[in-house]
Amino acid sequence: MTLASLRDVAKSVLLPDDTRLQILQSITLDVEVGDHIAIVGRSGSGKTTLLNILGLLDTPTAGEVVFGDRATHTLRTGTLDRTRGANVGFVFQQFNLLAGRTALENVEMPLGYATGSMFWNRRAIATAMLERVGLGHRLTSLPDRLSGGEQQRVAIARALVRRPRLILADEPTGALDVETGASVMSLLDEVATETGAALVTITHDLHVAARARRHYRLEAGALQPISLEGAFAQSTHALPLATDAVTNVATVTGSATSAHQGRHS
Amino acid sequence: MSDPVTDPASPAARTHERGRLSLAPLGGSIAEAWSELRVHKLRVLLSLIGIAVAVAALTAVLAIGEYQRQFTIEQSDRSGGRVATLGISASTTTGAPVDGEAMDAHFDRVAERYNFSHTTRVADGAQLPVQLTQGVMQLPARLVDPDYGVMHRLQTIEGRYFIAGDEQLMAPAVVISEALWDMIGRTPLAQHPTLTMTGNFAGTYLVIGVLPRDGVWDTTPRVDMLYDAYFDRVGALSENTFVVREVWVPPEMVSELAPMLAADLRAGLPTDTTISVDRRDWASLPGNAEANLVFQLVSGAIAFIVLLLGGLGLVNIQLVAMRQRIREIGVRRSFGASSARIFTSVLLESVVATTVAGLVGILIVVLAARLPLITETVFAGIQDIPPFPFTAALAGLLASVFVGALAGLLPALTALRVKVIDAIRY
Repeated sequence: MTLASLRDVAKSVLLPDDTRLQILQSITLDVEVGDHIAIVGRSGSGKTTLLNILGLLDTPTAGEVVFGDRATHTLRTGTLDRTRGANVGFVFQQFNLLAGRTALENVEMPLGYATGSMFWNRRAIATAMLERVGLGHRLTSLPDRLSGGEQQRVAIARALVRRPRLILADEPTGALDVETGASVMSLLDEVATETGAALVTITHDLHVAARARRHYRLEAGALQPISLEGAFAQSTHALPLATDAVTNVATVTGSATSAHQGRHS
Repeated sequence: MSDPVTDPASPAARTHERGRLSLAPLGGSIAEAWSELRVHKLRVLLSLIGIAVAVAALTAVLAIGEYQRQFTIEQSDRSGGRVATLGISASTTTGAPVDGEAMDAHFDRVAERYNFSHTTRVADGAQLPVQLTQGVMQLPARLVDPDYGVMHRLQTIEGRYFIAGDEQLMAPAVVISEALWDMIGRTPLAQHPTLTMTGNFAGTYLVIGVLPRDGVWDTTPRVDMLYDAYFDRVGALSENTFVVREVWVPPEMVSELAPMLAADLRAGLPTDTTISVDRRDWASLPGNAEANLVFQLVSGAIAFIVLLLGGLGLVNIQLVAMRQRIREIGVRRSFGASSARIFTSVLLESVVATTVAGLVGILIVVLAARLPLITETVFAGIQDIPPFPFTAALAGLLASVFVGALAGLLPALTALRVKVIDAIRY
């Protein structure tokens, strides 16, 4: 079942000198329920803009974004905000934790915009989520007292605490060293799989991308499905990958589920 | 996988959510505002000191106005009687003196039906020959009935005022002014000082109470004597003495009672006698209330300007802080906070802050009003120190909420304009 889809989406901005800068052009992408997608691309290729459009933070200049079963341009901004809050979780490169708030308060924040039992039980839910990411002992720590890896784990807990169906991660390991990045990505994978959420990751790092089932490259505003095998071969920084990962990433949607399970088994 | 109701993206779920009245958004906004204040303690604290001081000033001014009103009322009560006092006077069209005894009997007959709780005759203009060390002096006297003390809220600095039964005392009782008390050497009343009078009033009179001066300027020696005691000695009032009979009636009934009473009193009187019934208390004199209102308005306006200045400081600080909070707002927006919600939270932040500051200011004034230093100076001369005026506290609170909303509006509008995608990159 399709959770969100972009149909012929284009985005351009008007520059101060009255010229138009085309950031994205004619992008079509379907994100399935529980899907796991990686998008690689150079800086400035429009990855973040794509993610913002998918996460209902930005609107395309052309084309259509369908979320659930509704075209988002038909929704009012308030509804859009509520839909985003209930369905989308963001993980940012710079963590973007609220300064001066404890880990627990940071994770509670999205629940403050929920209603019903999620709102009233927000402290308990946030505590459970922090325990799940292994930070049960740092509930009252402020972000500046946490290491980078811990901060990103708090950010993951925050992104997942409302049980979103779509997690959007913008360079989640960009500010972390390789080992910490790997453990953070494992955690993100695990928790996303547990909650059945679809995960869309933007990254420079082919190893991070290799964890996904489907891979795309964004280049000059156009989105192309790619095989990571070729990408690794082209990369001068390529490190030897576990063979199963490389074979699995070569296959696209059809065998994705078995590949995913295989990786976690 | 997706249940139409539990699936939050489905239209059914959205309708479901909208249909239910939820306290979560408001509760969430207040919780968010409070946590924001907690995080920026110092910044908020500094800006709020001004607000607290201004609210304290505003509340104090209103409270002083209220106390001033009480003071004025007490002063007016001493001269005109409490609310509502009716004065009844009789005169003749021929200019001949009114027969006092006949008038009293007539009044008593009529008053029987009305069952007044307090009545008194008041005669001003009489004089009493009092023997003092420098010789016999004719001192002004006020002739009253025992109820006069209660009706005019009289307070003695020594002894007591007349009470019912004083007319039975063997030695007739008098109450004297403080100036006269000074002239007889301020003998403590426990030693039973007396006044000696000559002429028709020859005899010794027991001083049972001393009335305080109205102010430092008040140096008139005066004597209060019971009307009956005076009348027993001379049998008639002098020609230049004017008698008014006062009755104390419930204020809500006064407009109804006065004409009825006047009509009843006029019935059965000789045609050349006229009766007038007028209110004598302060409430019938709009001038007092107006003067007090002007005082409150002027000083209240000054305090309000001070409050606005404090609010301006808060706006300034909040606006500067808003620049640092753009990223935070972006993050909150990306996690589902609607722009309306952000607006409310930022607005409430100011409101919650100024309300807390206002409460502190009000508390300071309420506590200060209980300090002996204040009560002895500000309230000197007030008999019944009223409880702290609730209206002043309420006005202070409302003003602090108002200034908070005003100060929060600009930052909230700024927050509304934050573009999420720029904010999270910022």
